[in-house]
Amino acid sequence: MAAVHFSLPLPVLPQGWSAEKDFKSIGQLSPATQRNIEPVGPHFLAHERRKRHQRTFSEDDR
Amino acid sequence: MSSQEEGELSSPEITAIGISFGNSNSSIAYTSGEGKAEVIANEEGDRQIPSVLSYIEGEEYHGTQAKSQLVRNSKNTVAYFRDFLGRDFDSIDPTPCHASAHPQKHESTVAFSIQDQESDAQNIVTVSEITTRHIRRLASSASDFLGKKVNAAVITVPTNVTEEQRVALSEAAKKAGVEVLQMILEPTAAVLAYDARPEAKIKDKIIVVADLGGTRSDIAIVASRGGIYSILSTSHDYETAAGVQLDQVLIDHFAKEFIKKNKTDPRKNERSMAKLKLEAEATKKALSLGGNASCSVESLANGIDFSSTINRTRYELLAGKVFGAFTRLIEEAVRKADLDILDVDEVILSGGTSHTPKISQNLQRLFPPTTRILSPSTLPTAIDPSSLSARGAAIQASLVQEFEKDDIEQSTHPMVTVTPHLRNAIGVMVVSEDVKKGLFSALVEKETAVPCRRTGVFAVPRDGGDVIVKICEGLREIKVSKKEKAKINGKPASDDSELDSDDEEDEEAEEIREKVWKVGTVLAEAGVKGVKKGGKVEVRIKVEADLGVQVEVREAGGKGGVRGTLEKARVVENGSA
Ligand SMILES: Nc1ncnc2c1ncn2[C@@H]1O[C@H](COP(=O)(O)OP(=O)(O)OP(=O)(O)O)[C@@H](O)[C@H]1O
Ligand SMILES: [Mg+2]
Repeated sequence: MAAVHFSLPLPVLPQGWSAEKDFKSIGQLSPATQRNIEPVGPHFLAHERRKRHQRTFSEDDR
Repeated sequence: MSSQEEGELSSPEITAIGISFGNSNSSIAYTSGEGKAEVIANEEGDRQIPSVLSYIEGEEYHGTQAKSQLVRNSKNTVAYFRDFLGRDFDSIDPTPCHASAHPQKHESTVAFSIQDQESDAQNIVTVSEITTRHIRRLASSASDFLGKKVNAAVITVPTNVTEEQRVALSEAAKKAGVEVLQMILEPTAAVLAYDARPEAKIKDKIIVVADLGGTRSDIAIVASRGGIYSILSTSHDYETAAGVQLDQVLIDHFAKEFIKKNKTDPRKNERSMAKLKLEAEATKKALSLGGNASCSVESLANGIDFSSTINRTRYELLAGKVFGAFTRLIEEAVRKADLDILDVDEVILSGGTSHTPKISQNLQRLFPPTTRILSPSTLPTAIDPSSLSARGAAIQASLVQEFEKDDIEQSTHPMVTVTPHLRNAIGVMVVSEDVKKGLFSALVEKETAVPCRRTGVFAVPRDGGDVIVKICEGLREIKVSKKEKAKINGKPASDDSELDSDDEEDEEAEEIREKVWKVGTVLAEAGVKGVKKGGKVEVRIKVEADLGVQVEVREAGGKGGVRGTLEKARVVENGSA
């Protein structure tokens, strides 16, 4: 999908903020819900191909 | 799916179409060389082909010709049978067949007793055999049109189809020489029909598909995420809101007029009733286009002709209750999906009854102005609602027809289709007008199936410099506030739609409802240093199939950047739909 543009700015980095390689992992995603996706349409086919061949998006892009 | 091996024993060429098979009508469609879905008209020129078969002295009539036999030859006319297929007699509702051949119990299935041969014999014909004959006629019309034999199809089925019904449909089609490549759900087909248009942009959105038919109405709430569809909830109505209820409103209206003049009730006589029903339906359709419509029936009862007109306003008044029921059914489905009216981005109106302007107008009042209502009376570029299912099926047929049937079955297996969906949106904090308060901007919407990835491009403070990318989960909340005489925003339309509330004085303070984000769990922080003046920051979030999250942040156009990963989340519950 195309990138989404946001016009409001990101906050300024607080004074004294520091992290190894500038990245801090803090929390964890909420548990996900199991649902059925509809096996229909071109994007499903791509999804299914990735799942079957255990490929990632970037491998798939190539 | 892997496409057919080359050099394999040459299997016969596959010509696949899309079929929508309803209780009232069926449609056939194909995908042209340019990838455009087109609906095929049968020999009579109909694109909505009544799902009706009728027999006169052994001759079979189909579609519109068969439907008109409901007046003279109702006992040998089979109609409204789709929902009986793959069911046992005790579980069906025979009401729609009141004025045609009655369904009866036959062994473990449903059958009709009709005179379908030249002889006088009453034959027991199962619903499965009727379906085979119907599909044979549809396939033959399509073959005539395409100039080659149609031997495969994608067929649409309702969201509450059972496994037995699927098996029965597949077998019945096979007997008609049509291999069912795949059955797809009616609402999904409608969404696909819109998404396959060249001008369509794939966006994350919540879609309500309202399939308003003849004997039933079915609602589905669909999360469309990067072109992948998940059904969040469904609602069904077989009794209060569908095309036949609207026909009945007009039948009663005209019958009363007739009684006033002629002291006889045409509804009491089978033949008269059948005539009036056909004409009332035609009047109803005409009222979708014009402000006035007539209804004339030769020799309606006791040899007396009937002729009358009705205007749309009157009709809408008389049908107010039925119209209200459509709105309520949609509200119910939205609620069942744990969503609010304000969450809905698009309403796709599908099915023949969706041509009715008043139904879309009521939805325009129910949903906020930002919700797109895709129907003929609200959007000039809307696709004919009667054709959406068949078009979607035709597009899917073109996507899968080169695959082996086994491959299709494997890739539509729950092993592949049951997938974790995000519980909450994932997004980035930005600065609001009020500098002290951060604002959540959603990048990945909730109910997105994994794996998924989204990229956002963010502005930075005017002079650039060091910025922080704070990645969080966001929870959507509905903020309700009161304001004197404010404009209606997503306020439910009143059910008694005949009263135009605009004319009334609003004494109470208007309620304003709006969507706001509440920040949930903070997931990660990344620092981007030395962004140049006027620069932008690109944030890419990837959630892998195992729910591992990868974050990449960099100055747009710059190299390097910051990367990190999050601990994996767990999958817990099953969704409701
Ligand atoms: N232009 C129109 N205006 C209003 N109603 C219409 C119009 N065209 C068709 N209809 C109504 O739509 C209904 C048929 O809808 P559709 O063809 O989607 O049915 P279906 O899916 O086969 O039916 P069912 O719900 O019985 O399974 C009929 O009641 C018909 O009168
Ligand atoms: Mg239908």
